[in-house]
Amino acid sequence: MSTDDESFHPLGNEWENELETMLDDTEYDTELGMEMAQDAFRVTKGELSEAEFHEKYHEDVMEEFGEDNRPTAEAFEAAQEEAKGAASRMLSKFEGDGEEGRREAMKKMGAGAAAVGLGAWGTVENGNEPDPEPDVAAAAEEEEDPYEHDRTQWGMALDLERCDGCLSCVTACATENQLDSGVNWMYVLEFEDPGESANTNSSLARTSGPSPNRLIRPCQHCTDAPCEKVCPTTARHTRDKDGLVLTDYDVCIGCRYCQVACPYGVNYFQWDEPDVSTEDIAEHHEELGQGDHMTDDRGRWVDSRAPRGVMSKCTMCPSRQDGHMGEEYVGTTACQQACPPGAIQFGNMSDEESDPKKYAANPSRGRTLERISPPSADALEESLDGADDDLESVLEATDLDEDTLALMKAVEITGELGTGDGKLAGYEREFQEALDALADHGLDLDSEDVLVELDLADETDEDEEFDGPSVEDAQQRLEAFTGSPESNFRLLEDMGTNPNIVYLGQEPGPHAEQTEPTGATSLEYEQLSYEAVNGETIDLVDNRKEVLDEETVGDTGWSL
Amino acid sequence: MSTKTPSEADILRPINTFTKKYIALFGVCALAFGAFLVAWAYQLQKGLVVTGLGDWGSGGGVTWGLYIGAFIWWVGIAHGGIILSAAVRLLGMDRYMPVARLAELLTIAGLSAAGFYILVHMGRPDRMVTSVLGHYHITVNNSPLVWDVTVITAYFVLTATYLALTLRYDITRLRDQLPDLFEPVYKIMTIGYTKEEDRVIERMVWWLALAIIIMAPLLLHGGVIPWLFAVLPGMPAWFGAVQGPQFLTIALTSAISGVILVAYAFRRAYDWEHIMTDDVFRGLLLWLGFFCLLFLWLQLQQNVTGLFKAPLSTSTAQGATLDHPIYLLSMGLVFATLAYIFAQTIRPSLFTKARAILSGIVVLTATFLEKLLFVVEGFMHPEFEIYAATPGEYFPSAIEWLSLAGTIGMVVLIFLSVSKVVPVVELHAIEHLRGDHGHEHEEHGETAAEKEVKA
Repeated sequence: MSTDDESFHPLGNEWENELETMLDDTEYDTELGMEMAQDAFRVTKGELSEAEFHEKYHEDVMEEFGEDNRPTAEAFEAAQEEAKGAASRMLSKFEGDGEEGRREAMKKMGAGAAAVGLGAWGTVENGNEPDPEPDVAAAAEEEEDPYEHDRTQWGMALDLERCDGCLSCVTACATENQLDSGVNWMYVLEFEDPGESANTNSSLARTSGPSPNRLIRPCQHCTDAPCEKVCPTTARHTRDKDGLVLTDYDVCIGCRYCQVACPYGVNYFQWDEPDVSTEDIAEHHEELGQGDHMTDDRGRWVDSRAPRGVMSKCTMCPSRQDGHMGEEYVGTTACQQACPPGAIQFGNMSDEESDPKKYAANPSRGRTLERISPPSADALEESLDGADDDLESVLEATDLDEDTLALMKAVEITGELGTGDGKLAGYEREFQEALDALADHGLDLDSEDVLVELDLADETDEDEEFDGPSVEDAQQRLEAFTGSPESNFRLLEDMGTNPNIVYLGQEPGPHAEQTEPTGATSLEYEQLSYEAVNGETIDLVDNRKEVLDEETVGDTGWSL
Repeated sequence: MSTKTPSEADILRPINTFTKKYIALFGVCALAFGAFLVAWAYQLQKGLVVTGLGDWGSGGGVTWGLYIGAFIWWVGIAHGGIILSAAVRLLGMDRYMPVARLAELLTIAGLSAAGFYILVHMGRPDRMVTSVLGHYHITVNNSPLVWDVTVITAYFVLTATYLALTLRYDITRLRDQLPDLFEPVYKIMTIGYTKEEDRVIERMVWWLALAIIIMAPLLLHGGVIPWLFAVLPGMPAWFGAVQGPQFLTIALTSAISGVILVAYAFRRAYDWEHIMTDDVFRGLLLWLGFFCLLFLWLQLQQNVTGLFKAPLSTSTAQGATLDHPIYLLSMGLVFATLAYIFAQTIRPSLFTKARAILSGIVVLTATFLEKLLFVVEGFMHPEFEIYAATPGEYFPSAIEWLSLAGTIGMVVLIFLSVSKVVPVVELHAIEHLRGDHGHEHEEHGETAAEKEVKA
């Protein structure tokens, strides 16, 4: 309805004129109002910053109204921090809040028009929407990334195509936390998804060939955890320093509402006395000088299996994150360390250089880092002793084949090596050292000849200047080697939980249904066990109900 | 109607008699309640593993079961009771005055049973005070469970106040005929009583009744109780706005049934045919029919929206519910009651005491089954139904079933005990029935239901 006339306002001339008349009726300066409105639109188009807008009109506003509570440039920075919804904030600085207040303000400032201009914050993208408010809110919300945090936020990237269902993570978690049979804080399942296309790419992800769809299901450590919201005691809480969602075993009353509210089904209640006693756990870890593996830095009992009558779930190993097990364990979890193919990447989701962020940003590169172990610099030096420095001679003298070298170089081309302090950074450093050793020997891996030979650059014509390696070629090389996942998703994202786990691979659709047994080797949970700290062997169990039924008084075997 | 004139002696009869039947009933109820207390002690010792509950998801069970189902059931009975009593005062439905106090007592007893279930259901009931009250200022902002505890407590206080205020009038006037054994109780209850307060109390009670009537749909059984479930998007069997009205209708049907049963028991035990006349029961039955209709109407709403073209998870959950024999049984029972009630309004000769009692029992059975299944079905068909062990398995254990007998015993014990101390029929009701409106009771127009009954 607008845009073909000369009006600055998306609703057009007619609307603008109406507003002008409205302004004329007030005791305030129409011209100023209209001018402000026009500039307000410029703000929405990005031609003028909000702070500049405030600066520009500060004097005029003071003159006209005798007050201007809108922030100037310095004050604005601070306000920007806390406030959302630019238009409503700017308006509210004049006077009042709520609908009546706003109208008053519009009139008072003679700035029905200014407000109209401010309304443009919302309407600029959506010309025929007369009510600015909802759009402003929506726009503000869009800008806000729910996955951004100012502090450490532990989380994971889980590569479902790399998971081969060995259940090592499940066993490791049970061992770390001394879990009862069937308390599968970490759970891995295979699923069939009728109607979904077959997962074609996963055959490249793993050496053992294409895999069925799998889901690795720890707690999602949601930023907006419904379990925490419904807890009547604050026992279920998010730890301020690192965003872990934990249960205070000393506070929980065992109402199980968290288990009810969690859409993922990650909670396990301690229905009876746990198999391993608190004393045994404390004794075991204290002997190793690791604290009691239960109390975290704040002195709250949040780690290891729950005592009777309270709720438990995956903790992401706070004893490790707090350094109680030694510095080398910070930034690791038991499941992640146990995962042979490196399908579990654990780290700080607020840090772009952490393992999960790095891995999720470029899964093919992450997979390559996990899959290839370059020879050490020393070994290379030794085998290269006396060899020529051309590519062929180098490959001949070392264990390296051309593909491996190309992949190592491709990893270097597609990202800086050794940034951050995660496990992947360590691998990158190994890559770097190996590549450096080759360079030291005299092999110029950045030369056109070598790069072209490794398919990492295009050959140049004689009149062209060689512009170095091709990132695209390098990426293709990585993807040809190890595939790239079907999709990148968060589980049940539409529940608004903002989970801190990113999945790579096939997202289970609404028809997905678990198939059993789990794992390439037809592994069943029941085949696995671990030795508890009290020396007892505890069997893993898939369906915990079978264990619980043994203690049920008057178990009929019926079901509703 | 009976030709006998209601007298003070009539309403004092429960207090001044002591029969073998009373002792027998007291014994049976005490036994049921006691047996459950023993079972609960065993549960506390062993943990909740003695129940049939489990972890939903990979764990193959359901998190909440009979305890929570029965909790909602009792809260429903309780809330409906006080609504009925408040309606008597507010809308001037004087016909039901003789059962108003029984309805209030049903609220107190029902809320006690519900509160008891909260404790029984918990893994660590010993932490109720420290953990819940200690963090109340934080959790009340988020947790529907805390809203529940808050509102139930508020209701208990409101009802107890209501009851205590109205009892002052009766106790003062009947004091000479009440047993001296409870002298201290009466003294406390009538402390500072003057005749001038009657009018004030009547106004206070009116306002309390208004508060109760307003709070019930907005906050109570139409509010925080259904919100425990209705606000959770992870469980499509629960999620949605229909739960509020649905819970309210279920509460009202349960409560009216409860009042019918309690009133009939007292009428039979103390020869109160002339106080709780057949007309009262015909009226109650008609209200029961009306709420049964609403009950079925809202079930219909949920089934049609859940099955026609609902999101996959919703239609799975609703389909499973509709296919469930217990659901069909529950709906069938309510429908049969509705059919009977409507039939007996057309042909009054179909009304008998036994059939009225049966209607009450049938509806209470139906609402209990519906609540039990409602709680369980949520876990059976969650949004994230990928697990092989979902839908899980659940059947209440012996201890859980015993809890039902135990709380029914507990509620009956409350009635048996209270009826020995204070009159369970208001003196006002007797005065009203005799036609001496000495306390200037305001006459109100008859309600539609009453007219219908008379017709």
